[in-house]
Amino acid sequence: MSGPLAEVLDGQRQADLQKAARALLKEPLLTADGPYADEFRLVRRHAAELREWFERNVGWALRTDADAARLRKTPGTLTDATHPAREAARSALPFTRRRYVLLCLALAALERGESQVALGRLAEQVVLAAADPELVAAGITFTLERRDERLDLAAVVRLLLRLGVLRRVAGDEDAYVSGAGDVLYDVRRRVLAGMPASLRGPSMVEAEGFEERLTEMTARTALDSDELRFRAIRWKLTRVLLDDPVLYYDDLTDDELAYLTRQRGFITARINELTGLVPEVRAEGVAMVDPLDDLTDVRMPEQGTHGHITLLLAGHLARATGPVEPEELAVRVRELAAEHGGFWSKSAREPGAEPELVEKALTKLVALGLAERTERGVVPRPALARYAVGEPVVREPEPGRARRPATTAKTATTAQTAKAAKAAQAVQNTQDER
Amino acid sequence: MTPADYTPFAHLTAPNAPLYRQVMRAFLAAKERFAVHLRPEDVYASLDAGSRPADVEAVTQALDKLVEWGNLRADPDHARVTAVEDFYRRRFIYQLTRAGEAAEAALGTYDEVLGRRGELQAVALHDIVTQLRALLVIAAEDEPDPAKTYVALSVLTARFTDLADNARAFMGSLQRTIDLHDIEVEAFLAYKDRLIQYLERFIQDLITLGGRIALLIGELEERGSVKPLLSLAAAREAADAAPEDAEQAEAAAYEKWAARWSGLAEWFVSGEGRESQARLLRGRALGAIPQLLAVVRQLNERRAGRSDRSADFRTLARWFAQAPDDAARHRLWRVAFGLHSSRHLTVDADTLAERTASPEPASTPWGEARPLRISPQLRRTGSYERRGKPRKVADRGEAKRRLAALAARQTEETRRARDRLVTGGPVRLSRIGELDPLAFQLFLRLLGDALATWRPDTTTTTATSGDGSMEVRLTALDDGATAEVRTPDGVFRGPDHLIDIVDLTAGHGDRAAPAPVPIPAPREDTSPRLTEDR
Repeated sequence: MSGPLAEVLDGQRQADLQKAARALLKEPLLTADGPYADEFRLVRRHAAELREWFERNVGWALRTDADAARLRKTPGTLTDATHPAREAARSALPFTRRRYVLLCLALAALERGESQVALGRLAEQVVLAAADPELVAAGITFTLERRDERLDLAAVVRLLLRLGVLRRVAGDEDAYVSGAGDVLYDVRRRVLAGMPASLRGPSMVEAEGFEERLTEMTARTALDSDELRFRAIRWKLTRVLLDDPVLYYDDLTDDELAYLTRQRGFITARINELTGLVPEVRAEGVAMVDPLDDLTDVRMPEQGTHGHITLLLAGHLARATGPVEPEELAVRVRELAAEHGGFWSKSAREPGAEPELVEKALTKLVALGLAERTERGVVPRPALARYAVGEPVVREPEPGRARRPATTAKTATTAQTAKAAKAAQAVQNTQDER
Repeated sequence: MTPADYTPFAHLTAPNAPLYRQVMRAFLAAKERFAVHLRPEDVYASLDAGSRPADVEAVTQALDKLVEWGNLRADPDHARVTAVEDFYRRRFIYQLTRAGEAAEAALGTYDEVLGRRGELQAVALHDIVTQLRALLVIAAEDEPDPAKTYVALSVLTARFTDLADNARAFMGSLQRTIDLHDIEVEAFLAYKDRLIQYLERFIQDLITLGGRIALLIGELEERGSVKPLLSLAAAREAADAAPEDAEQAEAAAYEKWAARWSGLAEWFVSGEGRESQARLLRGRALGAIPQLLAVVRQLNERRAGRSDRSADFRTLARWFAQAPDDAARHRLWRVAFGLHSSRHLTVDADTLAERTASPEPASTPWGEARPLRISPQLRRTGSYERRGKPRKVADRGEAKRRLAALAARQTEETRRARDRLVTGGPVRLSRIGELDPLAFQLFLRLLGDALATWRPDTTTTTATSGDGSMEVRLTALDDGATAEVRTPDGVFRGPDHLIDIVDLTAGHGDRAAPAPVPIPAPREDTSPRLTEDR
C-alpha cells in the first residue's frame, strides 16, 4: 500500500505547494488573520521550499513569521506603470500623488511610534512630517483640516488595514472624516517591517534623477563575473515570466535574448512546476498563461459590461493594421452599443460614456501587455491576436435569444477547465478548482 | 585625624581617580602577599600594562598625592642605587596607612554590594539540608555537644542569610532586567539564555530541596529538639560574657537564635494563611520566565523597527512628491513596495487540450496561431450565462416516458432475478448453480443480510432483505463441503450452507408493487470470494 499512498501524499503536497506559491504571487504580503489565512498556513508549512525556489530562481526574499509571510518581489522591469496602489474600497481607484506621499509619511510615523496609535495622533504626526522643506518645495501641504484631506488619510489607513499593518480596535474612519470621532489601531510591527521590498533602502540611495533612483533601489552589487551576469539575466527573465503577462523579445537586450533562447524550456518548466502556468511560446515572445484563471488581477476575457467592451475592442484592435486613435475607438463603441447595448449596463449605453469606456478597456489591454499607448494612438501588441477571431459566429436578428450550444459549450468548459488542464500538462492533483 | 576627616576618600573625586584606585589596589594586593613597602617602580610594574601611565614619574606623583590625602605613608628609601640621577632624586618607599586601608575596605564592600548580580544559590539549599541533617543527628544524642550545635546553627544561619539576601537581590535585578531599564540589548540577549537555564535549575532545586528542608524542619520541631538546641547555642555564645551579664546575655542570645530559626522556618514552611518565602520565590521565578520572553519579543520588535526604515519612508514620501507624473509614481510604488499581484493571461481548457493535441511551433507569430477559443455567447453578450426572458416551460413528456420504461424494465429484471433465487424450501448452497449478474447481486445482498445477523455459535439464522421483499434462512453445515456459485464474472466459493429463500411479496397479487431499488450493474472485474471464515 505504501506506493500509491506515498504517491497520493506526494501529489497532495505538490498541490499545496503550488497553491501556496500562487497565493504568494498574488498577495505578496499574507497575514495570519487576513482573508487568506488558509494560504498563509500553507505558505508557512512549505516556507523552506518556497524560500529556496524564489531565492534561487528570481532572487526574491521570502520572510515568514507567526504573523505574516512576505515575498519581497522585485519587478523584472522598472517601466511598468500598470500596478498602482489602489483604494481598498470597491471603486479601487489608483492612488494619487497626495495619497502616496501621505502613505509614506504615515508609515514613517508608525515605524517610530508605539504599538498602538489613534488616527488623530497619526494625523498630527503626518502633518508634522509634511513640513519637511523638500516636501514643501515640491508643493505638498497637509493641514488635514479639510474634509478631502481627511478622506485621503482615511484611504491610506484603509489600505494599511487591508494589508494587515494596522488592526482596528475601536471607532471607524467615517467618523474621523466627518470630524466626529477618532479611531484606535493596533500597529503590527512585524507586518509593518515587511512593507518595503526594495533591495536598498531609499535613504541609502543618493541618485537625484527619478529613473536612476529606481535603478539604484533594485541594483545588485557589481556583476563582475560571468556567473553573476548570467544569474542576473536569468533572474530578470524569470521575474518577467513569473510576474508579468507577456514577455516580448523586442524588450530584451541581445544577451538576454540569447540566454532566453538557450534556457527557455528550462525556465518555463521551473515556473510551470511551481505555479501550474503553461508557456505559450510564439515568434514574438512568451506568455505564461494560466489554466486556472485566477493568478491575475486583471482578467480577460471577463464577464460584465467593461469586460465585454474590452473583448470587443480587442477584436477590433487586432484587425487594425496601425495605430488607432482613441476617438476612433469611441466611435466603434458607439457602433457596438447599437449591436450589443442591450446587454450592457444602463450607464454604458448613454451617449457620451464612450471615452470613459474606451479608457477603461485600454487600461486593461495595456496592463495585460496586449496594447501600447503611443503618441500616434493605440498600437496593438502581438499577443492581442489571441483574441482575434472574426465577428461572432452567432448572428440572430433579435437580441436576447442565444443558441443553446453556445451556452452549454461554455458552461461545460468552465467546469472542465481544471481537469483538462491537468490532463494537458500532467500536473497532479490540481485541486484549486474554485 | 578627626572623625570628620574623610580625606582618604578624596582621591575618588580627584582627576586621575582611576589611576589612584589602581595604585591603591596594587597596595592591597601587595598586602595580601605580606609585602608592606612598595617602591614606585614596584607599583608601576604591578599596574595593568594597558592602562598604566607612560612612565614611573606619573606614578610617583600619584603616590605623593595619596600620601598627602593620608592613604599612604612615605618613608625615605635607603636602598643602594646604581645611577647618579637616582641618587639625587628624592626617594621614598610607601606603605598603606590605616585610614587608607579602611577606605579601601569600605570601597570594596561598596563595589561588592553594587556589583551583586543577584544570584539564586542552589548550593546554599544543599548546605542548608546538610546542616539540618547534622542538627538532627546532634539532637538525637543524649548530651548534645554545644560546640557542634553552635557550629551547625551558625553555618545554617550564615548560609540562610546568604540565600535570603541573594534572593532579594535577585528579585530586584530580575525586575530591573524585565523592565528593561537602562540595559543593553546585547547584554540582555546574552543574559537571557543563562538566566532561563539558571531559573529552571533553581526552581527544580527549590521544589525538591525546599520540600526536604521543610520536612527536616518539621521533624526537628516535632521532636521538640529545637528549643534545647537553640538554648545550647545561646549558652555557648553567652559563655564569654562577663559573669554579671551572663544571664541576660544568654536570654538575649536565645532570643536572637529563636528569631533566626523562625525566619528559617517561615522561609521554607507555609503556615496557615501565610505562604512561605520559598514558595513566593518559586512563584516569582516561574513568573519571570514568561515575562522574560515578553521582553525578548519586545526587543525583537524594536530590532525589526530599525530607525532608518523610518528614514526610508520619509525619503520615499519625497520621491513620490517629486515624481514627474502619476505613471512614474505607480512605477515607484511597484518597485519600492512590491505588493502587486502577478498578472497572467488565461487559457481555457478546450484551447489547452487542442494545443496539447497539436502544438503550435514556437516560431508561429501570435497572429497566425490559432486564437483563444472564446465562447460566442460571451463575445455577443458579455456574459457566459444567458440573460433576458426566462425559457419557456419545457415539455418533459418524452423524458418521463423514457424514465417510466426504464423503471419498468428494471422492475421486470429484478422480479426475474428474485424468481430465480427463490428456492422453494431449504437447499444446499452448492445446488444454487449458475446465476446471472443481476440475480447474483441480489443473492450477495441477501447473503450479506443473513451473515450480518450471524453471531458466534449460531448455526442457523433468518434475515429479511433490506427492502423487506425477501427472507433468507441460512443454516451452517458441518460436513466441510464447499459450495460454488457460478456467475459470468467468476466463481463464488465458500463453506456450504443450507439456504432457503422466500419471496415475501409472492402472496400479493401485484408482484411489481414494491418498486425495488434499482440494482447497480456489477463491476466487470469482480471475482468474488466468500471471505466469511466461520
